[in-house]
Amino acid sequence: MSHEIFMPALSSTMTEGKIVEWLKNPGDKVERGESVLVVESDKADMDVESFQDGYLAAVLMPAGSTAPVGETIGLIVENQEEMAEIQEQNKIVLNPDERESQDEKSQKNEISKIKVSENSEKTNKPVETSKAKKEVQVHRKSETIAPLTNQSSRVVASPRARKIASQMGVDLSKLNGSGPNGRIQAEDVLLVKGQPTSIPWIGEGDKAVGLSNNQIIPENNSSPTGNSFGSPGETVQFNTLQKAVNKNMESSLNIPCFRVGYSIETDKLDSFYKTVKQNGVTMTALLVKAVAKTLKNHPQVNSFFTPDGISYPEKINVAVAVAMEDGGLITPVLRDPCKTDLFELSREWKDLVKRSRLKQLDPEEYSTGTFTLSNLGMFGVDRFDAILPPGTGAILAIAASQPTVVANKNGSISVKKVMQVNLTADHRVIYGADGASFLKELANLIENAPESLIS
Amino acid sequence: MDKRTSIINEPHKISHFEDIFRLQEEYQRNLIDHKSDLQFTWIGEHNLCYTIGKGGNRKNLLNLSKNNVFTINRGGEVTCHMPGQLVIYLILDLNSYKKDLDWYLRKLEKVIISILSHFDIKGKTIPGLTGVWCGDKKIASIGIGCKRWITLHGFAINVDCDLENFNQIIPCGIKECQMTRISDFNKNININEVKKIVKKIIQKEFNLKFVSK
Repeated sequence: MSHEIFMPALSSTMTEGKIVEWLKNPGDKVERGESVLVVESDKADMDVESFQDGYLAAVLMPAGSTAPVGETIGLIVENQEEMAEIQEQNKIVLNPDERESQDEKSQKNEISKIKVSENSEKTNKPVETSKAKKEVQVHRKSETIAPLTNQSSRVVASPRARKIASQMGVDLSKLNGSGPNGRIQAEDVLLVKGQPTSIPWIGEGDKAVGLSNNQIIPENNSSPTGNSFGSPGETVQFNTLQKAVNKNMESSLNIPCFRVGYSIETDKLDSFYKTVKQNGVTMTALLVKAVAKTLKNHPQVNSFFTPDGISYPEKINVAVAVAMEDGGLITPVLRDPCKTDLFELSREWKDLVKRSRLKQLDPEEYSTGTFTLSNLGMFGVDRFDAILPPGTGAILAIAASQPTVVANKNGSISVKKVMQVNLTADHRVIYGADGASFLKELANLIENAPESLIS
Repeated sequence: MDKRTSIINEPHKISHFEDIFRLQEEYQRNLIDHKSDLQFTWIGEHNLCYTIGKGGNRKNLLNLSKNNVFTINRGGEVTCHMPGQLVIYLILDLNSYKKDLDWYLRKLEKVIISILSHFDIKGKTIPGLTGVWCGDKKIASIGIGCKRWITLHGFAINVDCDLENFNQIIPCGIKECQMTRISDFNKNININEVKKIVKKIIQKEFNLKFVSK
């Protein structure tokens, strides 16, 4: 499988960065933690490292070029066979002669894009070309913003779209993106193939809030059958992770918990998410940031019980529950999210999820949470409550955001997106009023000032 | 060990650029590899040399012979170091401050402005042109590198150096960029006095506990 290297956010205000130098050439072996390229913004240079062992398969943006934050600028694969495959797919962008100069008008570039794809695939039928041209025109009409990323013949697609396309054998250069600046989204790939795809079942809450588009639901739940680890009539032993979860859940029975819920309107959050999504921001990072910022003003909700008294952690570390495909769950921790900007936080989260799947997390990366989030929004659930993990004082259950008829204060009625959240807390350290005022402020932040979550 | 602890190194003799560069990289490496929690602060002067960031435009070197030009892993264009100019390197772990290089650059500007104000010199920033200026002349330059949020390099303040050396290059890639120095405003200043203030302000602004090696 291939892993994208993204243009990193060196600061919360940075929108694009310049690639100063590639320290590795395509085909070179890279080790996890090894610097692959240098990115510059203002008077600062940052070494960008590889998150895994493997090979640099493709350089998608050459040295000297500028790319928006979150843009895929290179690809790393795990072995050499995959490298050949990726290099074949990215032939277009690897050949510098095919590049149009930056000053050329985008129209010419669009046409050159078609030409290039024609050249690279001799089996292309002429019919497809004319269709592609038509699509380009439609696509150009719908564009209102001057495209930033379409200035070259490069295919602009979201990481997920690339992944799905490579799984399904879809040629991205033939697709029209519905995303910002014509970026190809996962949905575009699914649409062209006319069928939902199945990906590893993992509770990444990217699509949690804003479940307006029903097409999104099947991605995690394509078959009507639920998860099962055994066959009918069989008893399957618990795996280590399941045993650990069981132990934690049983110990929670000794904790006097209470629950308090709140309905949060998410229209503003959803539209803010839409604007930052193209920079690689995930919904999980947004929610974690909102929770962490609110916890800062409500230290009681970040506290936990000890026999000696109420213990207040030095830091706010937000754990997020992630279901594992083969049973059990794990809670990767985003440490001190108040100190990290949204873009970096999103990248940290993606890295944690990726390494959770590969079971490569260090203990301090899943055991240092001071507050936990559990998000089942992606399944469309309207409410649930969570069980408190030991050693913490509270956990927040987040349900889907759904269009809801709301009666306004002045008696009028409107339809707003509403998400129910439910806090489970240890009453020995957190009281009803603490939980309620925490939720009130969290709702206020999400409803009125989601843009403040950026830094 | 407290994360906010830093080794302080302030040699009295003039140092060669390469020696200190290697020293910086060593401290950065140790922090990255978690071999040490000690950050590193260096305050000193260099022999005449020119440095340029990897992304810097070679044209700004003009006709300079390439012998004493170092291409280094910091951001920014060409600059010049020499005796009489105070160079400050900070190997800090931004993981324990703020993982934001813009924040760090702005913080360094603030540090420089406080240092200058101590000598009754009014420094200012110009949006888009990192560094500190007195009127339309530049008095301090900034250039940093970073790996896993551990910083490298830092800033340089002209105290009583020979500004002629800057005429060999286009400093910071800004044409018509004129340089100035503390001694143009206050003739009686001694570089050791500036060092003391630099140390004090860095300690305060970055909340550091200095230890000698």
